[in-house]
Amino acid sequence: MSDVAERVRKVTARLLKVDAADVKPESHFVRDLGAESIQSIELVAAFEEEFDIEMDQDEALAVQTVGDAVRFIEKVIAQQRA
Amino acid sequence: MRLIIYEDDTFGNFYPLTYLRAVFELRCGATTLAEKLRRVAPWWPVAYFARDALATVLRERLDALVNDPASLVGDDLLLVNGRLLLLDAAQFPAEGAEETLSCGGTIVGARVRRATAEAAAAQTPAELLAAVRGVLPTRELKGTVLSFLWELIHHNPAAIVADFKAAGKAGIVGTFSDHAAVWGSKEQVYVAPTAEVQPFVCIDTTHGPVTIDEGAVINPHTRIEGPGYIGPGTMIVGGKIREGCSIGPVCRVGGEVEESIIHGYSNKYHDGFLGHAYVCEWVNLGALTTNSDLKNDYSTVQVYLNGELVDTGDTKVGCFIGDHTKTSIGTIINTGTVVGVMCNVMASGGVTPKFIPSFTMFLDNKMYNIAFRNTLETARKAMSRRKRELSEADVALLEAALKLTKPERDELVRRSRKMLARERGLSE
Repeated sequence: MSDVAERVRKVTARLLKVDAADVKPESHFVRDLGAESIQSIELVAAFEEEFDIEMDQDEALAVQTVGDAVRFIEKVIAQQRA
Repeated sequence: MRLIIYEDDTFGNFYPLTYLRAVFELRCGATTLAEKLRRVAPWWPVAYFARDALATVLRERLDALVNDPASLVGDDLLLVNGRLLLLDAAQFPAEGAEETLSCGGTIVGARVRRATAEAAAAQTPAELLAAVRGVLPTRELKGTVLSFLWELIHHNPAAIVADFKAAGKAGIVGTFSDHAAVWGSKEQVYVAPTAEVQPFVCIDTTHGPVTIDEGAVINPHTRIEGPGYIGPGTMIVGGKIREGCSIGPVCRVGGEVEESIIHGYSNKYHDGFLGHAYVCEWVNLGALTTNSDLKNDYSTVQVYLNGELVDTGDTKVGCFIGDHTKTSIGTIINTGTVVGVMCNVMASGGVTPKFIPSFTMFLDNKMYNIAFRNTLETARKAMSRRKRELSEADVALLEAALKLTKPERDELVRRSRKMLARERGLSE
């Protein structure tokens, strides 16, 4: 698991108060992990803080799974550190 | 003659009300500041000048020349600053000699002959005024030049009275239930031909006039105290509309409202108190949203303006809420709070902070950036319910405001992220 993936898993588990083992790449934030819309806002902010990045809110909130979040964050990191 | 209504460079003192509108478009009384100025000479053509960011939307809204230097030549001109609150047009004679006009030491306009204007070759009213200042004699006007947003609230009761007199309409023309009552002089009430006042409504004119404008509907169990103005197509769905309220067109209002201005197209449908407040367009205040307009120690209220807290010198100051902002049920708004444009304010179990920057979600005592494009869609939906559309120019103005307000938002959002990380144990 990449560093980004591990950190996304840790932040997601702590913020949504779920077992880290249940946070898998295919996990759907809402359906599988029980994220409510308010928690989605908090998750985006938590990822921004964790990775010191700024994400487009519309694009970030459209992400549905943990794996997609990892890919999205990796893309933003690459763009903002280029 | 041509009337030129212009906005000067103090528009920032009226933020967040003026992010999407010119100062002269602000409501005070039944009408806007510009509508009052037009009473000086209603038959004259009018042109407007404002900051460039507003030019396109103003052309759409006002169907007039905006920021066009050609409007400063070809005719005699009466230039008037749009933040002049003109309660009595008779105080401002349209015709007269060339002169600059001053109010309380502030130059608020000029009467300029065509030849003088053309010799000045000005591109803006400010340039023209600079050319004639000190050259033409100055006349001091009686009136008020508004300097800060809370002054709109302060002057609103007198402006309602002045607008009632200027309109020259009184009496019950529209539908007025046999079981509704006017408490006080019936000469101080105007119910427009298509307005409807339903049973068990009390209109109290003992302290000032009340206008129920065209198409307005007043539901049962409503008390409206004068001076008061209920705009066209607005529904009052029960409650207390206390003295000094101006409620613009197509609003839905209930609960208790006191000395407040609701610009238009906004909803405060449910119970909850709104006092000494200015609410812009397309705002929805959730059930039991309540604002404080008086501090427990009766000290003067400070308002956050352009990066600092400014003492209003007034003990009764409510809140100022920008366009397209929504509050959740049970939101408690602090005294003198400024909430920007397109905010989403969620009740957090306490009072709001004194300042919520534009395009921010306030949630659990933290601030987050909103999803702008999603929120635009919400705005479109809200507007379509009232048969209005968000034009391309409106979107461009919102995008400009988003960019303009980024610095004041960024630091608060950064602090909130750190607070979230600490609270949830994410920063270990």
